[in-house]
Amino acid sequence: MIKLTIDGKTVEVKEGTTVLEAAEQAGIYVPTLCHHPQLTPYGGCRLCMVDVEGARTLQPSCTMPASDGMVVNTKSQKVLDARKFVLTLIFSERNHFCMYCQVSGGDCELQNRAYDEDMTHWDLQPNWTPYDVDASHPFIVLDNNRCILCRRCVRACGELVGNYTLGFEERGAKSFLVADYDVPLGESTCVSCGTCVQICPTGALIDRQSAYQGKETEVDHHISVCTECSIGCVRDVLTRDNRLVRIEGDWDTEPSNGLLCENGRFIPLEEDRPRVVTPLVRKDGSLKAATWDEALDTIASGLGAGKGLAALASTKLPAEALAYFKSLFADKLSADTVTTLEEGAATASLSKLAEKLGKSFESSLDVLKDTEAVLSLELDLVKDHQVAGFFVKRQLQDGTKLFVAGCDDCALAANAKVTLPLNPGSEAVLLVKLVDAVENGTDDADLAAVVDALKAAEKPVIVYGKTFAANADEIALDALLKLADLTGAALVGVKGNANSMAAAQLGLEAPFKTEGASAAVVVLGDEAPTAKLTKDLEKVPFVVALSAYESQLTGAADVVLPVAMWAEESGTYLSMDGRLQKAIKSLEAPEGVLTTLETLEKIAGAVKVQPDQDWKTSLMARIPTIQIQEA
Amino acid sequence: MTKPTVASDWLCGCAGCHMSLLDIDERILQVVDLVDLRATPITDLKEPDEKGVTVGILEGGINNTYNEEVAKRMRERCKILVALGDCAVFGGVPAMRNFVGVESALQRAYIDAESVDAEGLIPADPELAEMTRVRAVSEVVPVDVFIPGCPPDADTIFYALVELAQGRIPEIKNDKLHWH
Ligand code: SF4
Ligand code: SF4
Ligand code: SF4
Ligand code: SF4
Ligand code: FES
Repeated sequence: MIKLTIDGKTVEVKEGTTVLEAAEQAGIYVPTLCHHPQLTPYGGCRLCMVDVEGARTLQPSCTMPASDGMVVNTKSQKVLDARKFVLTLIFSERNHFCMYCQVSGGDCELQNRAYDEDMTHWDLQPNWTPYDVDASHPFIVLDNNRCILCRRCVRACGELVGNYTLGFEERGAKSFLVADYDVPLGESTCVSCGTCVQICPTGALIDRQSAYQGKETEVDHHISVCTECSIGCVRDVLTRDNRLVRIEGDWDTEPSNGLLCENGRFIPLEEDRPRVVTPLVRKDGSLKAATWDEALDTIASGLGAGKGLAALASTKLPAEALAYFKSLFADKLSADTVTTLEEGAATASLSKLAEKLGKSFESSLDVLKDTEAVLSLELDLVKDHQVAGFFVKRQLQDGTKLFVAGCDDCALAANAKVTLPLNPGSEAVLLVKLVDAVENGTDDADLAAVVDALKAAEKPVIVYGKTFAANADEIALDALLKLADLTGAALVGVKGNANSMAAAQLGLEAPFKTEGASAAVVVLGDEAPTAKLTKDLEKVPFVVALSAYESQLTGAADVVLPVAMWAEESGTYLSMDGRLQKAIKSLEAPEGVLTTLETLEKIAGAVKVQPDQDWKTSLMARIPTIQIQEA
Repeated sequence: MTKPTVASDWLCGCAGCHMSLLDIDERILQVVDLVDLRATPITDLKEPDEKGVTVGILEGGINNTYNEEVAKRMRERCKILVALGDCAVFGGVPAMRNFVGVESALQRAYIDAESVDAEGLIPADPELAEMTRVRAVSEVVPVDVFIPGCPPDADTIFYALVELAQGRIPEIKNDKLHWH
């Protein structure tokens, strides 16, 4: 431990703590700009300068390590003057006329820092060099005129996302932010994760969807889990007057600590499908608006006694709704098929393996954040479950070796040391070969490279996705376990949609067959039905759809009931690595639109059954592939 | 004791800061009680008294030789000079033209603008003041009090006037301090 004095207060901190962190621990605020807790200290802006007794000049506290006996003053006149001077220099470097800037009025860290110092004005004129504004990106506007060269965005894109899209051209005050080798951001390697926008302290990187829609002082925050995939990143949903303004990552929460992918951050705001806002019933061949009673009566008489009934639910629905769905259709109505739109493809084989073993065998996502070797099986983490891909990509610079099997021309393969050919169905062949290579050696250079790296690594990881889970047979899975055992590798299964693990726990994993089906209930929530599902259902004589949005499927259904979309209901989600998390209602549903759970309750009422309400017990009943923890 | 005298004028701004001053509504009566309101652009007397005023208030930046004259005259005739609003404090919205230069700003406005026909002409009467870079007031004459805001709130202006009337320098901070 190190003991130092800051503003007369004695603080004891661990070796390696910076002066800034020590001050924070002592409850002393030191203003910063280029510093961000998620990034490696950089020491670029000099706003955090402090007086260190014995030092010749003021020192940047964000990069200076605390040392024993150090005496620090954060409020001397010299420090206060330096702060104002640093801010004056930053302001005068570019166009900081706040009256026409999107982030002015609470959302700009630069402005806020100047207000903290009671700066009514600054004495230097701006350097009147204009920069072009880059609005080529679908979601992001880059305005170098507001940039303060703090490089937070550059560091975030590299250190956190592993994408290394952003960089600077020119030097000193002339530096300007570019994407790749100075191509428009919209044509660059950017994967639209938006981390740079979220971390930019000024109006230099703004997102076009939320620009001028509402400032920090005008919005409501809802900390909620992302329902777009099973990683379950925690996000902050910003709303104003029952309108979505923006979605941000939450820096303080696992697993992704502020990171989101484009599906979690930007795509939800692009939603433009027409809403279903009232029950619809097919009359004389066409769908007509109907009362709830009419619609429910039609459903009750159309469903019959469960014979020939198929019920399908989206794995994007909350666990409460999924459990109720199962109880209603499987237990109470004894439907022939009760499953999900994923039909268990991402989970069934793995759940069965856990049952066979009598225990969980997978590891948490965290293992992907700190590993020397990763073997990825039939999975493109650049497109799918992208934040997990960021965890891997950002370590490649430090020498983490990535091996990609069965994903030849996928984007992840471009980052791989070695790619191994793997066709769906031949998982067992490859895994048995790998096991053999560990046990007996091999002449195949590629296989040798993989097993050597896995063996040499302290914490190797094997990660696999939906295609693997759907195709791996028992031999493949046994070989997978053995390979993990021999190399000490952790196993990570990313599963599918946000609640695919909850669906797995409920045993909703049967394949959906249309033969013999006389009626189907499809609980879509806000999920867009695939063309295949739409086509399959054409063969079913009576189709009921619960959907937030109109689609070809709802257009062909016999009864359509409106339901809430993701932001309009609260519920529980079970992530791919077993974290039970809450999605929080952020918007009011349109008048008369109920949540999926409430709508299912109405159906249960109409067919006069009382499904089980205890979702948690049903969820915990099965041995999970990874231990379930409540957040 | 005689009341402190106050004069104001507007330069290259939009008059919004003076509108915000009028937004103090009936509190203007309290101000009139405390000070002797002399020349302003919205009263009959247009120029500050030659024998001087206690407080001079300028709205707007300085964008031509005429603005320069007005600013210098105000500075000479007042004890305390107040820069009111973002244009006076920083140059403000008009200063956007500094990023393109006077020439191309004139070209855009008088020749290339969609509403201008083939007879577009850049005004060049010798009586007109000469255009310059848009400058903050403090770049031309020393300023004593800066009240930024686009425009500053009526409450802030009222507070500042009351303080100045009582011989104090207003402290523009916390909720009174904003640049938009
Ligand atoms: S980036 Fe901040 S300081 Fe610069 S103009 Fe915008 S609000 Fe003002
Ligand atoms: S959006 Fe993401 S990938 Fe694109 S530049 Fe920003 S941080 Fe990099
Ligand atoms: S764009 Fe934003 S984050 Fe990037 S260097 Fe400029 S001010 Fe910093
Ligand atoms: S990785 Fe998944 S959970 Fe995270 S933001 Fe993207 S879609 Fe949402
Ligand atoms: S915050 Fe320390 S130098 Fe920028």
